[in-house]
Amino acid sequence: MASILRQITKTIRSPTVQNGVVSSVTRLQSTAADKVPPAETRPTVRKFDFIARSQLTDFGKYVADCLPKYIQRVQITAGDELELLIVPEGVVPVLQFLKDHHNSQFTNLTDIAGMDVPSRPYRFEVIYNILSVRFNSRIRVKTYTDELTPIDSCNEVHKAANWYEREIWDMYGVFFANHPDLRRILTDYGFEGHPFRKDFPLSGYVEVRYDDEKKRVVIEPLELAQEFRRFELSAPWEQFPKFRNAPPAIEEVKTGDKQ
Amino acid sequence: MLRQSLTKVLNGAQLSPKHIALITRSASDQAAKKPEKIEVFIDDIPVQVEPGTTVLQAAALVGVEIPRFCYHERLAVAGNCRMCLVEVEKSPKPVAACAMPVMKGWRIKTDSELTKKAREGIMEFLLVNHPLDCPICDQGGECDLQDQSMAFGSDRSRFTDIDHSGKRAVEDKDIGPLIKTIMTRCIHCTRCIRFASEVAGVDDLGTTGRGNDMQVGTYVEKMFLSELSGNIIDLCPVGALTSKPYSFTARPWEIRKIDSIDVLDAVGSNIVVSTRTGEVMRIMPRVNEEINEEWLPDKSRFSYDGLKRQRLVTPMLRDSKGELKPVDWEVALLTVAKQIKNAGSSIGAIAGGLADAEVLVAVKDLLNRVGSEALCTEHTFPLDGSGTDLRSSYLLNNKIAGAEEADFVLLIGTNPRLEAPLLNSRLRKGYVHNELDVALIGPKVDLRYKYAHLGDSPSILQQLVSGQHEVSKKLKSAKKPLIIVGSEVLERVDGGAILSAVQKLSASTSPEVENWKVLNVLHKVASQVAALDIGYTPGVDKIRELNPKVLLLLGADEASIEKSDLPNDGFIIYLGHHGDHGAAVADAILPGAAYTEKQATYVNTEGRAQQTLVAVSPPGRAREDWKIIRALSEIVGATLPYDNLNEIRDRLDEVAPHLTRYGAAENANFFKQAEALSKSIKTQIDNTPFDVKLKELQDYYMTDSISRASPTMAKCVQAVLKQKQSKY
Amino acid sequence: MAQVARDGLKQVRPILSLDRDEARKRVLNLYKAWYRQLPYIVRQYDIPKNVNDCRNKLREEFTKHKDIRDIRIIDMLVIKGQMELKETVNIWKQKGHIMSYFKETIEPKPTDFLSKFLTSKD
Repeated sequence: MASILRQITKTIRSPTVQNGVVSSVTRLQSTAADKVPPAETRPTVRKFDFIARSQLTDFGKYVADCLPKYIQRVQITAGDELELLIVPEGVVPVLQFLKDHHNSQFTNLTDIAGMDVPSRPYRFEVIYNILSVRFNSRIRVKTYTDELTPIDSCNEVHKAANWYEREIWDMYGVFFANHPDLRRILTDYGFEGHPFRKDFPLSGYVEVRYDDEKKRVVIEPLELAQEFRRFELSAPWEQFPKFRNAPPAIEEVKTGDKQ
Repeated sequence: MLRQSLTKVLNGAQLSPKHIALITRSASDQAAKKPEKIEVFIDDIPVQVEPGTTVLQAAALVGVEIPRFCYHERLAVAGNCRMCLVEVEKSPKPVAACAMPVMKGWRIKTDSELTKKAREGIMEFLLVNHPLDCPICDQGGECDLQDQSMAFGSDRSRFTDIDHSGKRAVEDKDIGPLIKTIMTRCIHCTRCIRFASEVAGVDDLGTTGRGNDMQVGTYVEKMFLSELSGNIIDLCPVGALTSKPYSFTARPWEIRKIDSIDVLDAVGSNIVVSTRTGEVMRIMPRVNEEINEEWLPDKSRFSYDGLKRQRLVTPMLRDSKGELKPVDWEVALLTVAKQIKNAGSSIGAIAGGLADAEVLVAVKDLLNRVGSEALCTEHTFPLDGSGTDLRSSYLLNNKIAGAEEADFVLLIGTNPRLEAPLLNSRLRKGYVHNELDVALIGPKVDLRYKYAHLGDSPSILQQLVSGQHEVSKKLKSAKKPLIIVGSEVLERVDGGAILSAVQKLSASTSPEVENWKVLNVLHKVASQVAALDIGYTPGVDKIRELNPKVLLLLGADEASIEKSDLPNDGFIIYLGHHGDHGAAVADAILPGAAYTEKQATYVNTEGRAQQTLVAVSPPGRAREDWKIIRALSEIVGATLPYDNLNEIRDRLDEVAPHLTRYGAAENANFFKQAEALSKSIKTQIDNTPFDVKLKELQDYYMTDSISRASPTMAKCVQAVLKQKQSKY
Repeated sequence: MAQVARDGLKQVRPILSLDRDEARKRVLNLYKAWYRQLPYIVRQYDIPKNVNDCRNKLREEFTKHKDIRDIRIIDMLVIKGQMELKETVNIWKQKGHIMSYFKETIEPKPTDFLSKFLTSKD
């Protein structure tokens, strides 16, 4: 851990990043590199904060410059939400950097979420939602893993991570290395499987009932007595033609050499 | 209710260019002569189209869907709903895309402000007089008006008449026990009217009044007398015409849809079975251009309530008092097996009209193992000449879709309107669009199109063969002649001679199209072709000769054999799903699954193998038919070597490979050889006139154990009889 | 280096063990830990089983996975096994949870055609 901290301080101290820091001091004044898009007039489409967007874009570029080893991609979603996509090894250093850096101060870990996309080579995504109270700003840090690759626990950086990581472990089966107390948090003792995985059936595998003969609760393979309800909601017509030309949900921010 | 997604429609259009041609031909006759393509632009996407293509079709080619209510691919263009208005550059007004043929270089804008405004306006006009009763409307959730007002309508309302003083209200019509009408919901798209007059050939529906007073109806109170009437429910884009038996029973988003095959006639229409909580809620057609297009006859659509009545739900044995008593499967199987063992090889089986290929092959294997060959079908077919050895003698060789291309059709002893309504609708299509001439030998029946009735005497057939009849010349000179023989005339004693005469007659024609097959046999039941393919002997005569001690009835309900045909200690086993004639005479009943409850193979009259899928589980202790035979075989001691569906399908594949090639119709050839063999037939055609069982519409509804058990079908018969007495 | 690794084997991050021996050691340790706890478990939970039954069950549960060769899967199973052990020893589990290992109320499904035909619909 100490070595990582040292590494970060070293990175920050390096001259190239010094310039970055200077430029980022001005992050509250928009660089206005992007041109202003036409104002959104449709009443049903969310209007986003353009100033916040350009600030976050600049901040994303700056973080990517500071931590080129860990940050793979910076993107803006839903108009004005910043996401940093990092390699699995970078969880602790990136969160530490974002927490401790004077110009970010993301000191609050709001939530850790998981996501399962079975078609990907690394099927799980772990998403850290962090909040900077100092700058009233929220960003997301995303990383990826599979069923067997452990991710470093960020419990040392954010104490809040303890239960969140237990939840991810319980629901998805992602193992967090160096977690102080990694055990189940939501499922029943003896429960098998991880319910939030996409290949886990909605109905589960077992059912639980009280057996009068045995005078105890018994766990048995599921046998659904009634039909499993499933709703078919598709129509032959295009559902939202008005949103045909909606802006893309994700826009990549060009960083580093790609700029 | 039958709504297809855009891609489906597109694919369908690609599959049958013939169909588009049919529509476009009337639009511009000249265009057909010079097929140079013209270029138009849909939303700036260039597309090459045939001259005469409408804007709507051109847009569909590039995947742009233009909303519509009145337009339907299989009906004539009406152009009265105006929902398909689009902007065309340099045109002063928006144009109706469904009715307007494209011109060279047109730039069509399907997403411009003008187009959107036009659509919103039309939606507003339609909704002004449409009731807001979606929550209690059966069409809710699959309603074109709902969907399109969501997608293309305005998101603001200008409706201020909160007292509901000015909304249009229309009296409901009574058009029979199948179709429920709530005419206030009607948006006057006239699809039902066009269907009735173009496809069904019943000109009963029409409009009265004009402007705000316009109404769709039957002018006088009258039942919609058509065997295809249910299709107007699918066609209706709103909830004006809905299904009476289905009303208020389920919502479209909570039902499960299973693709299956209809088995109530020999056509094998593709269907979708909608189920909820283990119950069949309704049956709708599924598009198959080669068989049923997108129509479905009423018996196939509405007799599903027969699947819930009169069902055999538990094994039963006849006790000493002669009463059938429910027993366990174990007891039933042991008793039946004991009888089979005692009988030795003196055992026979009769396959009824609803038996699937799997159970047919399982029963054949079982009986062969105990040393019997007495396997028969309930419906007879001549065995003289080539008999059933050559498939060409018992198939509808030219396929159902081929019927609409013909230019001369000779029907012999059949009433296609009631025996195969969808074949009749093809013939009618040919009659309307293709100048098809139809002649009929047999009783004079109403086919809903004009035909030459040659009489019902078999001597006319002989005259035709010898070329003395006035129609002979026409038959010989026809470029695409078809002869369709009803299976019923071949069941006569002189069936062999008739078939031979027909074979001779079809050999004397000279079709100018390659692979055009003149000889066609139209069967009435779904199981017949598969049974003959597997090697069953048609007709029950063999059983009467053999007098077997044990007789197995595979859903044979036509009372073709009586207890008196068996020896005194004869034992009848009935394997089937309905308590009908077969179950009444049986000593043991083994409850089987109906066609919605099993995955089973059926071969239609064209020789096309198709499979049903499990939509609901069999009721009570009923089991899939072939599994009963398999279990029985184990107790008898002649275990059949298949334990699951795949293994029995492999066995089917061994017996006849085409039985597992689902969707494909295996062609039959050897017409010449069949004709040569038929020369050996000695029997003479006798002079009893040709007859058919199904003559009038009331005969149509109840023909098999499922439809006989259906209350809806009984109501239909009553309604038709009542209508016959009415002065209209 | 990365290229070479990609060409040869996929380089993965170990969970706990670096080689098979270490993984084996962990499995044996877990087995021993369970084995030693079984008398206490039998005493503390009100279950109709003796230590021998439990030992047989323990062996059965371990041999269920005897064919697994991937070190990381072994590690994952060991982690889950430790979790279970902790839950058991701390009496976080209840009687029903322990007894669910024995699957007493579950009737085995018939396998041959005839008994499947007679008992159920499949």
